Order: sequence, then C-alpha cells, then structure tokens
Amino acid sequence: MVPIMGVLSAFVFAAQTLNFPVLGGTSGHLVGGALLAVLLGPGAGFLALVTVIVAQALFLQDGGLIALGANLFNIGAVTVWSGYAVFHLAGGKSDRPKRLYLAGFLAGWASLVLSAISCALQLAVSGAIPLKVGLPAMAGYHAIIGLVEGALTAGVLAFLGRVRPDLLRLRAGLQGAGDWIGAVVFVAAPYVLLILAGSSELPDPLQKLLAAAPLTGGREAEAGGLASPDRFLNFIGLAAAFVVLMAAVLAVGRAVRDKRGHS
Amino acid sequence: MKHSFIDRYADLDSPLHLLEARSKIIGFTALIAAVLLIPPGSGTAFMLFFFLAAVLMGVSQIPLSYIVGRTLLILPFVLLAGIAAPWRDDAGFVRITTLLMRSSLCLILLVVFTNTTRFTELLRGLKKLGCPRILVLNLGFLYRYLFVLTDEVMRMKLARDSRRVGRLPARRELRLLGSMLGSLLVRSFERAERMYQAMLSRGYALDFPVLAPRRFTARDIVFLGVVASFVYGVLR
Repeated sequence: MVPIMGVLSAFVFAAQTLNFPVLGGTSGHLVGGALLAVLLGPGAGFLALVTVIVAQALFLQDGGLIALGANLFNIGAVTVWSGYAVFHLAGGKSDRPKRLYLAGFLAGWASLVLSAISCALQLAVSGAIPLKVGLPAMAGYHAIIGLVEGALTAGVLAFLGRVRPDLLRLRAGLQGAGDWIGAVVFVAAPYVLLILAGSSELPDPLQKLLAAAPLTGGREAEAGGLASPDRFLNFIGLAAAFVVLMAAVLAVGRAVRDKRGHS
Repeated sequence: MKHSFIDRYADLDSPLHLLEARSKIIGFTALIAAVLLIPPGSGTAFMLFFFLAAVLMGVSQIPLSYIVGRTLLILPFVLLAGIAAPWRDDAGFVRITTLLMRSSLCLILLVVFTNTTRFTELLRGLKKLGCPRILVLNLGFLYRYLFVLTDEVMRMKLARDSRRVGRLPARRELRLLGSMLGSLLVRSFERAERMYQAMLSRGYALDFPVLAPRRFTARDIVFLGVVASFVYGVLR
C-alpha cells in the first residue's frame, strides 16, 4: 500500500501544478481529495493528502506552518471523507460507468464546497470574518470552482475506467464501518462547532476586539475613504519603509556572507 | 527538463547546513512561532528578528537573490488579503504592517530552513522526533517520484500547448485536462509498480538509509541555545 500511496501523493502534487483558467482571471487546479478517497479509501487517501499538504507547506512555502492544522483539517480530512461519503451515497459501487462518473463528479464538487464551508465556519468562530460575509463568499466561489474539481474527478475516473479498470477496483472489499464513522465525524464536526458557538450567548474577547476594529464592514465613509490624502501618504510611507527594510536585511546578509567567504 | 525547486541549495556546507536536522526543525519552528507571537506594532522586536533573519541568510550562503525571489513570489497573496486594511482605520494600518513583516520573516526563515537541510536528513530528523513512520515513508516516496512526475507533466504540457492554438471551449478544455490527468495517473502507477519491484529486488525494507548522516554535536547545542535565548530575550 505504501508505494501506491506515495505515487498518488506525488501524482496529486504534480497534478496541482496543472492550472485551469476559471472565471474572471483566477485559476483553479485539482485538489484531489475526492479522487484519493475513491482510489485508496478515506484512511489511506487522507494520509496521502497529508503528505502533499505538508510538503507544500515546507517546500513551496504554500499554506504556512502554523495554519497547517487547519489546512490538514479542511483540505485533507473534510475533502477526503466527504468525497468518500458522497461517492458511495451517489452510487459509486454501481457497475454502470455513467453512474460511476456522476458519483465522482458529485463527490468532487461536494468535497470542495464542504471544505470551503468548514473554513468559513472556522474563520467565523475565531472571529476573523463574520459568518454572513464569509459563508456566501467561500461557499459561492467554491461552488463554481467545485464544478471543475468534480469534472476532473469524473474525467480521471472515466479515463481509468477505459484504460486501467483494475485500478478502480483497488478498494473493492476494503470498506468498513470505520470509514463511515470517519465520514460522519469529519463532515459533521464543523456544524456541531457552529451550533456550540451559536448557542453560547457570551461574546468572546476576540469578537469584542474585532467589533472595535473590524476587518470587514463599511467604515470607509467615516474614516475618510480611499481618497484621504494622509492615508495615501501612510501607504506610500509603508511601501517605502518596507523596501528600505528589505534592502537593509539584504545588506546585512551580504556583509555576513562576504565576511565568511566561500571557503 | 529543468525544475529543481525543492531543497535546491541543500548541498552547500555552511554552518547551518552542518547542523543536525532535529535541531533545525525545532529551532526554526520555534523562531516562526515566535514571529507570530510578536505583538502587533512592536517595531523593535520585528527589527531584531529581521536582523537575525539577515544573519541567518548570510551565514547560510544561499544566494540572496534566490531567497528574496521566493519571498516576493508569495508576498502578493499576503498583500491581497490585507490590502484594504490601511484605509479602514488606524488599527488597520498597524495590522497590514504587522502582516507584511510577519509573513516576510516567516518566508525567509522557511526558505533558509528548507534550503539548508537535505531531504533525506529532514526525513531522518522527523522520524527521530517521533513522526509516524508511515508519514515519513510517504514523504520519502513523494520526494522520489515527484521529479519524475514533474518531468512527465512538463512534457505533457508542452505537447498540449504545441497542439492547441489559443483557448478551446471550456468543455473541451476540461476533457483535455481530464485525459491528461488520467494518463499521468496511469503512467505514474505503472512506473511505481516497476520501481517498487526493482526496489524489492534490491533488498528494500521500508526504510530510506541516509548516507553519512549529520550527528548531534556541540554546534547544535550552541544553535538551540542562541535561538532559545534570542526568542526569550525579544519576547520577554
């Protein structure tokens, strides 16, 4: 199993570099959670995806070390287990190819949307972005991106069905109750969290802090708006200070290096 | 094809390269965590950390343009997240400054860390620190297959781009991408099967040996001591 997980991790890593243009100048790529869940089952699929996310955080500086836990939960656990559950509920065990591809499409789409919702919920609970702003934005955007993920998941399954149908049956007979427990836990956990957060009446300190200095919300008018000259100057000053700072850092770095020489 | 982006400069031999992987994992993680703990708006602490980052950059002997390039590559995404903040209110200005400094510090530290540690050393360190064996193994396989697969992807991209003029309708574009991913998957599978057979027949036993592993020496103790006292001194 380990070599297959390894090659699938590398596959997902490489596949994520194949970008696809989406509406409005942004681009999306395959996340691969649902695909891994279908091919390997959720447990092994999750481990394979964990490897990808850890490697990206370390080597492409993509995702961040401190946010790794959240990323592993949202991009890893939620996509894999929800993809697995949706795939099987939508008839992924069916012998008819059309049904199989449809299940793959739904699994891919749902995995991204649920992952986005989970992320929006976490942002709301931690007080960074209010739910009524974050949820529609995240879920709406990913409902569109999810179409690509779904289509690609279905496309890869269709291709495999034509070329190497045996790979689709890798998981036959390996599904257990544990997988379903995982699915229930990981897909439901964010909502339970939401209900718990919603039921407590006490505003937590973070929310108070954010009420004092909101990231979102219409305060431009009182604050002078975009045209305010002193804010513009502030911004130019910030940019200049940053350039000077980076130059200083470079100079110190170079001085240290030259002093050591290239022995 | 040319695409070495992982641990590209890990084969130099600066003092940072000579450290053992475990002490670097702990030290750099501590530094990054400390950067995130600096209270917003405390300029002196940030300056001290920038100074430390500069010293580490210099000591590491990695070309400075490479570090700056990698950092600038990621910063636009960070800026995008906070670009509106300075116009909200005065707290917003401090917020974006803090965001900018924190992320560039973390990026510099991470680039220095990953480019002073060979991948096999990193895996060994992770294993010794108690990371589950299956994860370490899987990371090892990922690293080994990645270069081959990236080659494959680049060849397929080249083939696609030389046969397709302009943009196709979205439906066909998606079908094309699906087929590309599918054949990439099948090719990787078959390659992995061959490679695994070859590995087994050469005596592979679920372990990646490291040639001449670095040892935990007095140098590591000094490094960890410096990191610990720096973090304590600045954040106290």
